[in-house]
Amino acid sequence: MKKANHDPPRWPLRFLAWFCPPWLLEGIEGDLLEQFDDDVRSAGISVARQRLYWNVLRLFRPSIILRNRFLFSLHSIMIRSYITVASRNIVKRKLYSFINAVGLSIGIAFCILIYLFIQDESSFDKFHANGDYIYRMHSVMYTGSRAADKQGSPYEKISQVQLALAPTMKAEIPEVQYATHFCTNHAILRKDDKVFNESIVYVDADFFRMFSFPMQAGNVDKIFTSKDEIVLTPAIAEKYFGTSPALGQVLMLGDRSLTVTGIIDAPPANSSLQFQVLLPVEGWGAYHQRNLDMWMNLGFPTFVQLYPSATAANLQPALDQLTHKYMKQELTQWRERDKVPAGEEPYRIGFLKLTDIHLAKDIGWDKVSDPQYAWILGGIAVLILLIACINYISLALTSSARRRMEVGVRKVIGAYRRQLVYQFGFESVMLALLSMVIGFILVVLFLPAFNQFTGKDIALQATNLYTLAGISIGITVLVGLLAGCYPALYLSGFRPVQVLKGTFTAHLSAGFSRPLIIMQFAFSSFLIISSVIMYKQMEFVTTKDLGYNQHQLIVIPTQAGWRENSNLVIEQFRNRAAGIPSVVSVAGTDYPFAGNDWMVFGYDVNGTQKATYGFTVDAHYIKTLGIDMVMGRDFDPNNFADTVKTIIVNEALVKDMQWTDPLHERLNFHGRDPQAEGSRIIGVVKDFHFLSLAETIKPMFLTMDRNDGRLTNMLVRIDAKNIPATIAQLKKDFAAIVPGKPFEYSFLDENVSQQYASFNRWMNIMSLATGFAILISCLGLFGLAGINAVNRTREIGIRKVMGANLSNIFILLNRQFIILSLVAWMLAAPLAWYSMQQWLAKFQFHITMSWYLFAIAMMAGLVVALAAVSYHTVKAALVNPSESLKYE
Amino acid sequence: MSKEYLGEFEELVLTMVGVLGEEAYGNAIVTEIKDRVGRDVNLSAVHVTLYRLEDKGLVKSHMGGATNSRGGRRKRIFTITNAGLAMLRAMKEARMDLWKLIPQLKIAGS
Repeated sequence: MKKANHDPPRWPLRFLAWFCPPWLLEGIEGDLLEQFDDDVRSAGISVARQRLYWNVLRLFRPSIILRNRFLFSLHSIMIRSYITVASRNIVKRKLYSFINAVGLSIGIAFCILIYLFIQDESSFDKFHANGDYIYRMHSVMYTGSRAADKQGSPYEKISQVQLALAPTMKAEIPEVQYATHFCTNHAILRKDDKVFNESIVYVDADFFRMFSFPMQAGNVDKIFTSKDEIVLTPAIAEKYFGTSPALGQVLMLGDRSLTVTGIIDAPPANSSLQFQVLLPVEGWGAYHQRNLDMWMNLGFPTFVQLYPSATAANLQPALDQLTHKYMKQELTQWRERDKVPAGEEPYRIGFLKLTDIHLAKDIGWDKVSDPQYAWILGGIAVLILLIACINYISLALTSSARRRMEVGVRKVIGAYRRQLVYQFGFESVMLALLSMVIGFILVVLFLPAFNQFTGKDIALQATNLYTLAGISIGITVLVGLLAGCYPALYLSGFRPVQVLKGTFTAHLSAGFSRPLIIMQFAFSSFLIISSVIMYKQMEFVTTKDLGYNQHQLIVIPTQAGWRENSNLVIEQFRNRAAGIPSVVSVAGTDYPFAGNDWMVFGYDVNGTQKATYGFTVDAHYIKTLGIDMVMGRDFDPNNFADTVKTIIVNEALVKDMQWTDPLHERLNFHGRDPQAEGSRIIGVVKDFHFLSLAETIKPMFLTMDRNDGRLTNMLVRIDAKNIPATIAQLKKDFAAIVPGKPFEYSFLDENVSQQYASFNRWMNIMSLATGFAILISCLGLFGLAGINAVNRTREIGIRKVMGANLSNIFILLNRQFIILSLVAWMLAAPLAWYSMQQWLAKFQFHITMSWYLFAIAMMAGLVVALAAVSYHTVKAALVNPSESLKYE
Repeated sequence: MSKEYLGEFEELVLTMVGVLGEEAYGNAIVTEIKDRVGRDVNLSAVHVTLYRLEDKGLVKSHMGGATNSRGGRRKRIFTITNAGLAMLRAMKEARMDLWKLIPQLKIAGS
């Protein structure tokens, strides 16, 4: 065998020599080689090699590397010099550093905020110990053509399932360990004189075993064994019982007395399940045998937990079996009625893991969110960061003329190019680090506003502070290198001979910085155009005539429940309110629109499925809302016949039914009885927007028939004078009619604008981003213009001597910025047009993007840009030529 | 006892430096630990520990004479310092003091 085979591998030893302090190297290397030889003899060459590699790798640790005294001290001298030079430069050019630091810190702050946002999004529902085994059930319904306005799938998914599903699954599917309902409702709770309308949730006893919401008091094993129990969050308990312990106390729900058997922590903001008051589902009015038997009644959100050993894949066949067992007849009917093609299922029960429900935007849920949001926000953050980086690069390039001497002298003295690169790179990283600190402060300052914009509740905690610090240092170094890389290479490339001889022209060679400025301008223009269009659309939405008068209209729930009694409350209230001069009129309705609730009736006309919204109202409704009639007559309060099978429809319904003479038609909107004669139509109202402007005006009718609905809300029109006094009076009257019930009111116009809250939020985010983008790019322009003006001082002086006046010079200096911004704008406009087209498509009623919106945006951008550069140009133009020609 | 705390592995290596006297260098310590204590230790771990002990002033080192083996590399010989010996002694005494406090059990029949 050749001796070469017993040679130790060369790479690890070279690696060792690279990082190991030289004065330790010999001893270590010797030991390693000795061991290697021993190993070759005792265990063979491959083991010996492995061991050598492993040993070298193990030596690569701070306690060895940091012993590099000599090596390190050499570097540290240079590093100290870099730091000194960098800090001198930063301090010397205050404006330049300020511009860069502002831009970078805002960019970094944005990135950190977006990171927090994404982290919060992905932390949703991750805190449950059993989270891996908990699933939410949902219904998958074949809607075929009716789902035409949704793209793609003919199926619709809703998070509502049968009341009986939870107990049935637990009893019949062996994989299921626990099951609970999660049905949100409202109830009025009372403790002596404290009466509040609370949002409550009906759950099963299993709820407390499945989810990890910590109990502060109460026995988890014994909770909800009786129907008359209630579990509260600490805030609610304090509301009713003050500081005295709530456990064991009694709360009244109607005439039932409920014992508080548990105090549970309020769910954190990143929980999809939100609740304040928990009640046992068995005590719910809706929990009766008839509802348990009705497998077509979907309205009860349900969660199940599987055994850890169970596989979720087995669940789907078991669920299909359940539907076939309990819904056989209904499914056949459904298939025939909706003409479900063979191979498609009219109805199935599906399930989704708890941790996935937050981002499952196709199934409606309380806090469901679209992952797209994170992408858009992230995109904006990166754009802003890019703009800031471009600032840095273009400022560094255009001011390079000032540093060419420095580079030349350094090179002559003997600096390597690499050292110069290090120096310039060090400068940018240091500036980025400085910006990071400012950025961090900005994050702390902006977090509350950011929470408001995004509707989140993010807090800076010690736990995420470390990752946050890591992330921001990562971003910072990356940005520092990204921004510093090109200038460093460019600046270090100067030839000392040329530089020092002075043949280098004073003109900046800005070949590369122009495209950068165009890019930066294009980003800003894009944001400006987008926010102008968004602003216009929101203005349109809030000022559009909705077809009724939504102002000075108060909505008051009667709090009497879905009962005949509620109608009487309104009658009494109207009589009393007649005595208040500032009340114009009072009307009753079942669903005041601009909420999430309404009634939709589905029926069948000659084989096509149709649907219409139906509102139960009283005879004062149309007058109170100020809706226009186009045909026929309003309801007559004195005509009893109007309360029986009589409706008023809107134009959309007439069109939908293709009636030519609607007053002689009848509409049978109850799909369950196709043979019935239907209701007569006494009038047609002009279309009004009872849905948000994101929707078209759908077919709708108004009825006074008590069989179609109950009047649970009052609409009170008041005049604009002294609204607080009027409300106080209304409260008094309400208390006299329905004693012991809370008086809650809202203004209809506020409820209506609430529908656009999410759109508004996006507009706010966009305008914030636009503001920052403009600020950063203007600062960049400002700096650039300043350097430009200084570079051309002599030229300006000569021109002035030759007779140029102020405006000539102004135009001369600004011309290039105007051309650049026009080019940028032309790049940005189509992009903005496309993306705004997408955004506006979410509204059925929207503005058209006319050219003047783009023109406004362009003018705005141009004016701001000119304003930014003008300071320097005017200053340069005003300098006395005798001063400027003295220069150099 | 000094405030300086000595880990178990550090103590083992320090003891071995004392045991080996003039022959204490990285590899010898590894073999010695294996022979006497039956423990497989990593060469790099021993080296790192030796340098740490040197920092604490418990051992000192010098380069040995030239060798023919080891690729011609000299050995870095470690010797225990007075401080190191005092440390070992203090630790041993502290341990003996504690040991005396344990109720001594006699095995029945012996």
